[in-house]
Amino acid sequence: MSAPPPIGAYRALLRLYPRNFRDEYGPDMALLFADQLRDEPAARVWVRGMVDLAITVPTRHLEAHMNRPATPVVPLLFVVVSLTGVCVALIGGSSLGMLAVGLSVATVTGALAAAAWRHTRPVAVARSATAHWWKFLTGGAGVLVAVIILTTATGEVDDSMWWPMVITVVGALLLLVTGLVLGVARLTGNHPHNARS
Amino acid sequence: MAGPTKPLPSASLHIVLALLDGELHGYALMGRVAELSDGAVRMGPGTLYGTLNRLVDDKLIEETTDRVPREDNERRRYYQLTASGRAVAVDELVRLQGLVHRIAGHLPGPATA
Repeated sequence: MSAPPPIGAYRALLRLYPRNFRDEYGPDMALLFADQLRDEPAARVWVRGMVDLAITVPTRHLEAHMNRPATPVVPLLFVVVSLTGVCVALIGGSSLGMLAVGLSVATVTGALAAAAWRHTRPVAVARSATAHWWKFLTGGAGVLVAVIILTTATGEVDDSMWWPMVITVVGALLLLVTGLVLGVARLTGNHPHNARS
Repeated sequence: MAGPTKPLPSASLHIVLALLDGELHGYALMGRVAELSDGAVRMGPGTLYGTLNRLVDDKLIEETTDRVPREDNERRRYYQLTASGRAVAVDELVRLQGLVHRIAGHLPGPATA
């Protein structure tokens, strides 16, 4: 009976693969490598195995990176700053400078949020999440138009209606910003083809 | 009806074609691929299991290890084509046959098609 081939070094090299892949297929790969060593010249098997490792380790890591769970901390921070900009523009709207600064901050950080969102979401999830951007945009625009029409028709806004009005306008602006962020993310996103969909 | 689908990547193509005859474990699959390609394609473990993983995710193949008792001393994982995997494999065969036929018709010299 022949001795089992020495594959300890190969088992150690398998640790270069991402943990999930290694846990799932590591024992099978080691067994397969041992089978090869049993049936073919060791030098040929080792050279082929090293080339295979050099090619597939980065590929498996890239795949793991693409499928990793979402970590939306950075885009959320940008969204918060963007909303702060909207609030500044709204509160200081009577001052042209405050309005410009607020809207600029909201636009720039909104774009950054969209870019960061793309980098932290798996491709398939990002595509499905950004597919509804136009609903937010049209919803926000619709509410704003309704408020403008209402205030134009009624003239002065009653004191008791001031805060509900502010909350409604802020909500509409939030919808607009969300729609813009998702729309930019969708427009700048890749649309990989699914070979077998 | 869906339009023409994209060809499978090379490693996936060889694996689904190798599984047309029935279920195989990793090493047997590797040998079958080498045999079908006349020794031209010899996959390493990383390529083989990375491709198997993708094909399982795409539901073109499935693991059958626990369905029937095995005589192996060491526990091996067996794979077979799913119904959609078999359809894809047949589609690929038809596509390759068409490709060979069209190219053969344009080759100079005696007709070989």
